[in-house]
Amino acid sequence: MDITILGQQLLGYIPLGDIVLYMAPLNLFMFVSALVFTTLIAISRTETQVEAEFGTLKDRGVKVDIKEFKIRRFLAIVCGLATAGAMITGDLFDFTLFVCLIGIVNIGIVSAVKQIDVLNAAFQYGLVAMIATLPLFGGAALILASTGTISLLEIANIPTTAMMAFGSILLLLGVAGETGVAPFYATKAEMFRTPGSPFLLIIHLSSLLVIVRLIEILLIINKPF
Amino acid sequence: MANILLNVLIAFLVGSILFGLQRKIMARIQMRPGPPIIQHLLHTLKFFIKESSFPKTAAMPFYIAITAMLCVIWVAAVIVGPVTGGSLLLIFAIYALHKIVEHNAGSSSGSPYGKLSCVRAVFSAAAEVPLFAVLIIIYLKSGTMVISNIISYQTIHGPLLYSIPLAAAMFFVLILSKAPYSPFAITKGKDIVSGYETEHFGLLRGYLMISESIAWYMLLWVFLTVFVGGLSPLWYLAGMIVLTTITAFINATTPILNPNHSIMMQVSFAVIGIVGSIVLLLYI
Repeated sequence: MDITILGQQLLGYIPLGDIVLYMAPLNLFMFVSALVFTTLIAISRTETQVEAEFGTLKDRGVKVDIKEFKIRRFLAIVCGLATAGAMITGDLFDFTLFVCLIGIVNIGIVSAVKQIDVLNAAFQYGLVAMIATLPLFGGAALILASTGTISLLEIANIPTTAMMAFGSILLLLGVAGETGVAPFYATKAEMFRTPGSPFLLIIHLSSLLVIVRLIEILLIINKPF
Repeated sequence: MANILLNVLIAFLVGSILFGLQRKIMARIQMRPGPPIIQHLLHTLKFFIKESSFPKTAAMPFYIAITAMLCVIWVAAVIVGPVTGGSLLLIFAIYALHKIVEHNAGSSSGSPYGKLSCVRAVFSAAAEVPLFAVLIIIYLKSGTMVISNIISYQTIHGPLLYSIPLAAAMFFVLILSKAPYSPFAITKGKDIVSGYETEHFGLLRGYLMISESIAWYMLLWVFLTVFVGGLSPLWYLAGMIVLTTITAFINATTPILNPNHSIMMQVSFAVIGIVGSIVLLLYI
């Protein structure tokens, strides 16, 4: 295989019709990491969060009840699989769909918690994620319109135009909103106060891995040389 | 395989000794005798023969696996960096995973100190990850993401330290944030005991300390490689000692910042560094 993406030799690709999954070392590493963490989440129980009580010297343990545990674990696994998918897809539209799914399940993971502060944070994040859907898909659509393809392997060989650069900016805004990275981190940190460490991991994991993948995609679309 | 083992061993030993050196310098600045330079190494080895105990509130087996994961990802960084001279983007991904593991090592124990460290790790990720984006600036300047090609670029054009100094400064701030007792070390501030490490004992603490040492070595290695160029082992060692000494001086003379101030300061460095570097790239 003599295809290189950003200096990385492609290890292989799976052409499923229009959908092309490809694997370079970076994609493979992130794909495997996402799957390992997802497996770990699937087999782990949650911690008992120890909190100080006001007015006494006692502590109280905050646990995740079984119903909440089941739904959050299910959503966390879906989030992990969507993240793994976003790591190896060679198709820009599939990438945006995976990112959108990650945003939806992230809100779900947190909104299953019965704490007002956490629900408020999830609501704020939900609003940002919904608004971010427009630039996310809009950016991908602009790139499709200006290149005629959504295959990253094809886009890698097309010279960058102003419209592609504009689409990239929209894509960046969309992913930032969907995954809740800076400057939308403040509400996310609030969501992390709830117990359920394995589920919180996948929220953080998905956003950081998607950002790294997005950097790869943006550098494929916008070739400075 | 032997090459990987040798590099991992070197990373662990050099990282541990550099941490010891840092503590020694800090102590001398503060008019204390300080611990021996090999103290961090001894501490790490000691934890492997101590009894391991696990909090009954911990999220099992997540709590145990997460420390092993931290070790694995930094060993992977050694393979990508010094062993194969692979992609900088891959090292970026490894650093992102490091932040995730750091944050979840804290929250998985159920301890309030670990939890606070976890929340701070989420905050600090907002500031540290943009600092790591300096790698994109290196790509824009050198036209490659592959470490071995960046070394070749510097052999022809001179060290990147001179052409993109703000990017180097940003990366140094990132290194500083990972140094113990640094003004940005909010995840391990003494107000939350030992942060995410508070509830890790015995073998698990040993794993965490090995990872810290390898992480320190790797960050210094990446800095020297991408901003100065390919060096001989002795020059690498000298460079690492110089960087560790500078961080020791900064850490000894500055308090740990309040989390909000720490984040705002790092974000400010990131904004100035990124915008400044782009301006430098466009006009120089």
